[in-house]
Parts: sequence; C-alpha cells; structure tokens
Amino acid sequence: MKLLTHNLLSSHVRGVGPRGFPLRLQATEVRISPVEFNPDFVARMIPKVEWAALLEAADTVPKEPIQGYEHDERFLRKMHHVLLEVDVLEGTLQCPESGRLFPISRGIPNMLLSDEETET
Amino acid sequence: MSDVQEATNQLLDVNLHENQRSIQVTESGLRSESEHLQVTIGATVPTGFEQTAADEVREKLGSPCKISKDRGKIYFDISVESLAQVHCLRSVDNLFVVVQEFKDYQFKETKEEVLKDFEDLAGKLPWSDPLKIWKINTCFKKKKTKHKKINQNSSKEKIESGRGDKTDERDVKKEFTNNVLDSQILDYYENAAIKDEISTLVGDDLTSCKDETEESSKEETDPEMLKFRVTCNRAGEKHCFSSNEAARDFGGAVQDYFKWKADMTNFDVEVLLNIHDNEIVVGIALTEESLHRRNITHFGPTTLRSTLAYGMLRLCAPQPTDIIVDPMCGTGAISIEGATEWSNCYHIAGDNNPLAVNRAANNISSLLTKSQVKEGKLSWGLPIDTIQWDICNLPLRTGSVDIIVTDMPFGKRMGSKKRNWNLYPACLREMSRVCRPGTGQAVLLTQDKKCFIKALSGMGHLWRKVHTVWVNIGGLHAAVYLLKRTPQTFVHPSEQDGKRSPCTQRW
Repeated sequence: MKLLTHNLLSSHVRGVGPRGFPLRLQATEVRISPVEFNPDFVARMIPKVEWAALLEAADTVPKEPIQGYEHDERFLRKMHHVLLEVDVLEGTLQCPESGRLFPISRGIPNMLLSDEETET
Repeated sequence: MSDVQEATNQLLDVNLHENQRSIQVTESGLRSESEHLQVTIGATVPTGFEQTAADEVREKLGSPCKISKDRGKIYFDISVESLAQVHCLRSVDNLFVVVQEFKDYQFKETKEEVLKDFEDLAGKLPWSDPLKIWKINTCFKKKKTKHKKINQNSSKEKIESGRGDKTDERDVKKEFTNNVLDSQILDYYENAAIKDEISTLVGDDLTSCKDETEESSKEETDPEMLKFRVTCNRAGEKHCFSSNEAARDFGGAVQDYFKWKADMTNFDVEVLLNIHDNEIVVGIALTEESLHRRNITHFGPTTLRSTLAYGMLRLCAPQPTDIIVDPMCGTGAISIEGATEWSNCYHIAGDNNPLAVNRAANNISSLLTKSQVKEGKLSWGLPIDTIQWDICNLPLRTGSVDIIVTDMPFGKRMGSKKRNWNLYPACLREMSRVCRPGTGQAVLLTQDKKCFIKALSGMGHLWRKVHTVWVNIGGLHAAVYLLKRTPQTFVHPSEQDGKRSPCTQRW
C-alpha cells in the first residue's frame, strides 16, 4: 500500500463519519519500490493531498509544502519518494475514532467490516 | 446524426487515399520496394468501440479510419514503417492486412457457381504486396503461446534443469536482449528468470517456446514451403453457401496457386475471407493471438478484455493526476490497463473477494516483471494499489475520486439478477459519495441494463447519464454507461440532523 493510497482511505465504521480520517498507520514491513519520477505529476498532486494526514504517516515530510515547490526538484523528488515509492507490505491501519484495526498483508489492506460494524 | 456524417466523411477520406496509393506504388518501383509500401490494415475491435479505436488510430498513427458496416472492424492505411506501432494499439484485438476489398460483390444464383467463383478468385488477387507485409510482420507479432497440458511437477523440473544457477540465467538474458533488436514485441514468457509464484501457464509456455525456436530455424531453410489455413467469417441472410464451404473451396484454390501446405492448426499464413452481406474482404492475419490478453496472467471467471478496458477508460478522457478507482476490480484488468496507458493518473483496484484481490495483485506483479525484463527499466512500481473492500461501504474519503470505471456483475456468471436489484442502487449511491462533485465521472459496464436504468432513475440529483455504448460481451448484449457527477454535494442521511460542525464542512 502506497502512502498516496493511505491519504485517500478513511474509516467507514458505523457512526464515525469524517472523524475516521486519517487512519493511523503502523507499518511492520516496508519496501521501497523505485517508480519513474514524473515532476509534473507530483507537482499537480501536492494540492490534492491532505497534508496533515501525510505528515502523520511519514515524519520525513516537511510541515507544509514549501513556497514555489512546483520548481523545486529536490522537494518534488522527496515527495515523489514518499507518495509513490514507499510500499507498506505488512502492518495495520487504525480507525482514530473507534480504534478498529484493519490489517495490511502482502501490501493489500483488508478494509472489510463485519455486518454489525457497517452503517445501515 | 453526426456519427453517420463522420463515418461518411472518413469513407471519402479513405477513397481519396486509395487513389493516391495506386500512384505511389508505381512510383516506388524505382526505389527500394518494401520501404515505401502503403498498406491497408484491418483491425477487429470490441463491438461498440469502433469510434474509440478509430480515435486511437488517428491519434497514434495519424491515419483516418473507415468503420466497417460489419460491426467490430475498422480499416486504415499506413506505410510499412509504422507496422510495429500498429501492434502497440491498445484498442484492437486482431490485425490483418487487406488483400482486396469488394464493396459490392455480385453473388451468382447457385451454390456451385458461387463456390466456383471463389475458386477462380484465388488466382486473381493482388497477393504480392500483402505477402511482403506478412513477411515483415513476422518479427513484430507476438508469437502464439502453445498451451500444452503438462503437469506442474514436470514443468517445474524443466525450468530448474540447466536454468537454475545464476550463470545460465545471465546467458539467457543476454540472448534475450539480442533478440530485442530483432523483435519489438517479445513474448513475456520467453524470459527464463520467472518467479515461482506465477502460474503454471508459464511452465507450459517455456517448454513450448523452446520447441518454437527449433521449428523456426528449420523453416528458415525452407522459405517457400509455407503452411496455411483459410478462415471464413460469413454474416448475411441471402447467402446460399456456408462459411465452411467457402473456406474449403477458396482454400483449395489458394493451395493450388501457391503450392502451400494446408494445416488448420500449425499454420504460418492465415488467410481471412470475411463476408458481410455484399461486402467481401480478403486479408492475411497479422496477429496469431488476440492482443487483448496482454496484461493478464492470472485469469478469473469473468476477466474483462484489456481492449475493452482501454475503450472504457478512453471514453472518460482521464486527465493527469486523476484518481481512478475500480471498486469491483475482479482480476484488475481495468486498473492495470489504466496504469500502463495513463501512468500519469493514480489507480486503485478494489474487490470484496480475497481471490479476486490476490489475482489482481499477482497480475500487477507479473506486469512489473514483464516491463522490467522488456524495457530494462528499473521500475518496480506502477501508480496502482489494490485494496480489499466492500463496494457498498467504501473506505474512501467523500469526494476524493475523480473517475470510477468498473465492470458491474451481470448477474449471470457472477452474483444474480435478484441480488442486483439491491446491489445496483447501493453501488450507485456509494459511488456518488466518493466521486468528486461537478467534475467526477463514472464509466460502468453492465448487461443488466434494466436494473441499472431503474437504479439510476432515482439518482438524477447525483448522476447524469451522458452517453451509452452498446457492446457485445461473449454473446451478451451489454452497455457501457458514461455518467457525470452533478455538482450537488453528497449528503449522508445521518448528517441531515445538523450535528456536523463547520470545520468538517468539506465532507
């Protein structure tokens, strides 16, 4: 699971709503998979990213996008690495509101809830 | 209707082009013949997506297309230099070079006369240029993978013997890279360094590839002794003969003319005789195996053709950095096609079934191995992720997805029609929540059109139906619906009681 995906995921446990974001990430096994660097992609993605959530997931990220980031290659490469190249293979995602744990196994998060847990 | 207008205009374009071509051929006699050869290529495409395929051809090859009345076929002219690129088209299943086209063939009255005409036809057709193309094409086409029935143990032995240690792997790789110069499209299965995780299909293909290289070297010493077959497709109500009869008699005459050997299964040249009412096209196949199997190594029960997946994605014109989700991904065909063709977007494939999710993940890793080997790229990653989830309750932020593309359960091989009555409205509702209001889109394939339209009818405030493409999936009449998300924000029933605080307004 890439960190860009984590940025889109939100807990859907009943009654939690928007307080289910972001999920707390606990990674036990991580792989770095090189991906072709596309500066345009990264630059355009940055405004779409929920920065606080990204910060929580990856502490190497600066507190906010730096001024003029569109042209700062070093910054873009760093963000490219964080968003696309870090692959969580094993770990858990935790709902911040309910505490419910979702396992990540072989890079795939299992977000299935039991019937009691889902919203009607 | 503008579609008809456009098709007519294209027809006129092609006719003009044909006249130019005949002049060009005589001129090129002075220069090296094969270099400036212009040729008409026919392509079979998923029915309903002829226009999409024509758009791709125009975009990537610069050629206008003629869309045939015989559904699922398009024709376009290219120069022989573009032949390799034609094999890279993502919306076509099979390719052939046109030998001759008869727009209004006059069939005689009796079967005997018609078949006799076909026999006479064989000797009168302009074979030489198409055959030149066929010959040049042999380096470009993907070789057919022969699926022999070998049990897993014996195939594993074959992989291990002589290829287990590192030095052997390197030698094979070197040989492999030399071959890249000869053939631009290499069969994935020719790589010896394959992980064990990948299915037995690979084991079968490795052994069959070894046989193939032996065979082809044998053939090089005997160029004229080609094997061929004739495939006839016939559609129309007024014909007094069957496709088998036509293939048999036409084939017999072809055999006499060329002195080739007839072989229905192990052929070099496949001659196509396509008859649609009064339109006949004689062609020579340029693909052995349909191009639509390109991305998938692990097939599921209802795997979507990659060419169809491409057509669906193209319909919604993805923009860079679009988040594209397939919430019922099955084997992941759509997301995988998306990640390869629209790599400046981000793709997420999800399914509730663990088998499906695993298959999708395996297909992705097969693809990564393939691109690593083929292009020598260090790319280990693609902009794609897999998640196990429930479509009716997606763990995604509201309004975070730009495009949803999916193949909805038809209710035939997967699920049931009865289940669809509850599933479809729930799906559409949840999809409307995660989809970005105003700019979001959905491209949905389904055969259960009645259920879909009914489910959609209650959601006019969230989804607007913009376009429908009628397609044929394994004989079933299905439809691809292109929907646009209205600007209206999604309001969850529980949020209507006013408990929400302003800072979470964006949800």
